[in-house]
Amino acid sequence: MQLALSAILITFRHFRRLPFFMAYVCLNVAQGLFLYGIYQHYGQYSYAAAWWSEAITLLARLFATVEILHLVLIPYRGIWGLAWRVVAGTSLVMLIFVVAASQGRPDLALMRADRGYHLIFATTLISCLALIRYYSIRVENAYKALLVGFCFYSCVKILLNTVLYDFLYRQHSQYTFLWQILSVAPYLLVLLFWSAALAHPLPEMREQQAVLPTSVYQWISPEINLQLLAINKQLMNFFKIEEEPQQ
Amino acid sequence: MNYSAAVFAIAGLLLLLAIAWLAFSETRRRTKFVRNGRRERPGLHISHLPQIKRALANSDFMYLRDHGHPALAKRIRKERRRIALSYLACLRVEFERLLHLARMVAVMSPHVAVAQEVQGLRLNLEFSYRYYLIYFRLVSGIAPLEAIGNLSDMVSALTVRMETAMSELGEQAVLAAELLAHNGGRLDAGG
Repeated sequence: MQLALSAILITFRHFRRLPFFMAYVCLNVAQGLFLYGIYQHYGQYSYAAAWWSEAITLLARLFATVEILHLVLIPYRGIWGLAWRVVAGTSLVMLIFVVAASQGRPDLALMRADRGYHLIFATTLISCLALIRYYSIRVENAYKALLVGFCFYSCVKILLNTVLYDFLYRQHSQYTFLWQILSVAPYLLVLLFWSAALAHPLPEMREQQAVLPTSVYQWISPEINLQLLAINKQLMNFFKIEEEPQQ
Repeated sequence: MNYSAAVFAIAGLLLLLAIAWLAFSETRRRTKFVRNGRRERPGLHISHLPQIKRALANSDFMYLRDHGHPALAKRIRKERRRIALSYLACLRVEFERLLHLARMVAVMSPHVAVAQEVQGLRLNLEFSYRYYLIYFRLVSGIAPLEAIGNLSDMVSALTVRMETAMSELGEQAVLAAELLAHNGGRLDAGG
């Protein structure tokens, strides 16, 4: 499936606009080959190398996601600036949460780090999608599919790393095998979804939408907020006013 | 399953639901500015305020009750309450339209102040909370019908001020409306 997706990316020349995504897919293919090779030779001793290779692909996934968000938001400079702040703020908050909630056994540190990464990644991405939705920004189907696919897979990984481990780790002898099957199946589904979405030419790049001078925003936005504040203050006293004796 | 695992499992599940909602839910209620190539007149419901206020006045009910028609007074009160609730819903639509306009201005601006946007979002949430509070009190009959007049006065004032501000924007406001029409006045992220 990864090779098929790579072929689609090359055939439709998507790699020109999505170089980081292309790199992410290629790294996944390379990781698969690498893991196959080292497991053949070193078996269980290849554990650390496997996690390192995973870290590299996770980093590539991060760059690919930022690239797609950039493509979606670049016509809206102000919102892109806002999105960056949302990404930074959400990531920091989630990082603190993950560190606080993941204390415990050192032998599970890598697995918990992986789970923490996916939690931070998914939360941040959903925050960005919510921001995009809030501002009525149109997202082309191809980009939407990529972002939703990334997020879906991260959510599945969080659940697998948490629920599956706690339920099956001690009880089931085939835990590793089950974990691998249940990890691969959603990823294949995502690859299929991406392939279908990318099997078309990408939409044209949008022009810059920031047509208003900054002074307009600086004038209108506080005005609206002041009005909203006034309305809310009146709403707070709504029943108090009306409960006065009526003539 | 320990406490930490439960927290992560719930978080994962909530995130999965959130992405499903963003991906498949119907986009938010559309607020159309342009219909058939013509700008819809703002303040359409606000302009009915005097009639609504008149319909909500207590004098009619008191007159009917005092002249021996309590059943009729009760029926009319019920019907007028229904009208008041419809009116309240229309006011909310107009309020949301103004907020949408504010968001469009932010979208088209090269620089957006985080503090302003956060404040706008917070106030919007507060408004929604209070709106529903008033709504349910009206539905349950524990709020006086006249109370709705206050809410419409507030929205009316906001509409007038925003209209004044936007008219001063001239061509830029037209661009905003055109962009809104281009986007279909909808929120397309993940939907």
